[in-house]
Amino acid sequence: MAAIQVKAEVAGSVWQITTKVGQTVEAGDTLMIIESMKMEIPVITEHGGTIDKFMVDEKAAISEGQVVAVLSR
Amino acid sequence: MSSTFDARKTKALAMGGPEKLARRKAAGVLNARERVEKLLDPGSFIESGLFGASLADPDKSAADGKIAGFGRIDGRECAVVANDFTVMGASSAGTNGRKIGHMKRVATSRGLPMVFLGESSGARMPDHMGARGMATLLGNDGTQYIRMRETPWASATLGLSYGSSSWYSVLSDFNVVRKGAVLAVSSAQLASLAIKENVDPEEMGGWQVHAEVTGFADAVAETDEEALELIRTFLSYLPSHHNQAPPERPVPAGSGAQMADIAKLLPEKRTQVYDVRRIVRAIVDEGSFFEVKARFGKVLTTGLARLGGRTVGILANNPLFRGGAMDTDACEKGASFLVLCDSFNIPVVLLVDTPGFSIGIEAERKRAPGKIMNFMQALQLCTVPKLSVILRKTYGQAYLNMGGGRNSDEVAAWPTAEVSFMDPTFAVKIVHGLEPGQPGFDGAFAEMSRDSEPWDAAAVFAVQSIVQPHETRDYLIRMLEVHRQRLSGGIGQHLMRAWPTSF
Repeated sequence: MAAIQVKAEVAGSVWQITTKVGQTVEAGDTLMIIESMKMEIPVITEHGGTIDKFMVDEKAAISEGQVVAVLSR
Repeated sequence: MSSTFDARKTKALAMGGPEKLARRKAAGVLNARERVEKLLDPGSFIESGLFGASLADPDKSAADGKIAGFGRIDGRECAVVANDFTVMGASSAGTNGRKIGHMKRVATSRGLPMVFLGESSGARMPDHMGARGMATLLGNDGTQYIRMRETPWASATLGLSYGSSSWYSVLSDFNVVRKGAVLAVSSAQLASLAIKENVDPEEMGGWQVHAEVTGFADAVAETDEEALELIRTFLSYLPSHHNQAPPERPVPAGSGAQMADIAKLLPEKRTQVYDVRRIVRAIVDEGSFFEVKARFGKVLTTGLARLGGRTVGILANNPLFRGGAMDTDACEKGASFLVLCDSFNIPVVLLVDTPGFSIGIEAERKRAPGKIMNFMQALQLCTVPKLSVILRKTYGQAYLNMGGGRNSDEVAAWPTAEVSFMDPTFAVKIVHGLEPGQPGFDGAFAEMSRDSEPWDAAAVFAVQSIVQPHETRDYLIRMLEVHRQRLSGGIGQHLMRAWPTSF
């Protein structure tokens, strides 16, 4: 089982986590939405897999490149 | 006499011998001659230098490790050099250097696109060693690395590619990197010796590095075959040379069919993002969008496409990534794409939705002002027609970089456009020192927000047309016709022909 780290592309705050731990996602799916620069910017996974855990909570401030979720496949 | 000819020809065509060729086949990798065959129209290859060899070791140097010649792609002549890694690692040497020089000279003087199929261990050893090696093998052609963009160059990195093989890839207008290949200055082994630590070849110069970090990969392919097909596709949008307009194609059935619903691709809520590539695909001729550097500087989408059968270059802010705020990678990507379009007479269409440039400590350290101005200068030096369409936000300097004002031949705006210097919330903070929720904020916000709809810009003719989203395709096709460069036969001035091939 390979672990896949999903990173935030942009600094901001976590507005909404739109998926759940244990959920199966496909490449291109949105895992959560970050509020940054007055925009709602999705965190999109480049790989499919099962969500193992989220590394952030809603409302958390995050930095660019921060790991926000870990998937396995 | 005939038997000597046949024997020599058979030996030259045998490349590095059956064992090496079998190993490649088992690895699922094409050999150099198979690559040339797949690249070109069937039966069109005429070789130049089949009997080239190293006089130091003629038996082991078939074609001197680099196969050169001419052939056709979609019926148009081009010149090609394919590195044959089975022959001395396709290392660069005297004879094969002369072969490459000949191909480039013919391509440039006769107006043919040039294709490089890269896979080389670098300079041949020990030939290049010592003062005698250096003096005799290097520096004999004072034009070797000049790029004046007389004809398009396309390249594929199809294996370990070091030295001049890498130089030609980054000098090209388009480079596709096949997964598993490596493009670098020198081998990982040499790098490990030099810096005394283990260097992983793919980590140093694999497809992901070049697709996402350096931008040297305009495209990525899973296989050799896919890479060669991508070169054919890229060249289908370009003229054979800079004094020619790009080829025209029939408009495919179904083109424009999505226009009735295009407004639905733009979220009603101004804070929501979307993938601008869906809008691009709806506007351009069906199936014609050919994105370049898709994984690099993703906030700015660049690609070739056709509108009404004619090639156009698309620059579109993509709010899906970082809200469309342009960083230094995006500036370099934009500038390099404009150089391509202008050099080969390709009109430019800009689709605008950006909150501006990324700012802050990191941006300044990456030389943002210089990159923004390179991009801006490239736009102003473009002599091909430029049409911009403001879909939603356009703020500050980015308004100019994306063709605002007289930086396009025509500026159109969707009714959803917002034109201003900065986000009104930030403006209230900067001018009045007020945050949302504080007394006086709402009034100040209303004052800053009131003028951002596009009507005032249209009233003073800074925006020439307000178009409904569903009218965009027809508007662009019509305006491209209006702005055809009739006086020069569709040919621009190519003011950036000597600009760097990477930034």
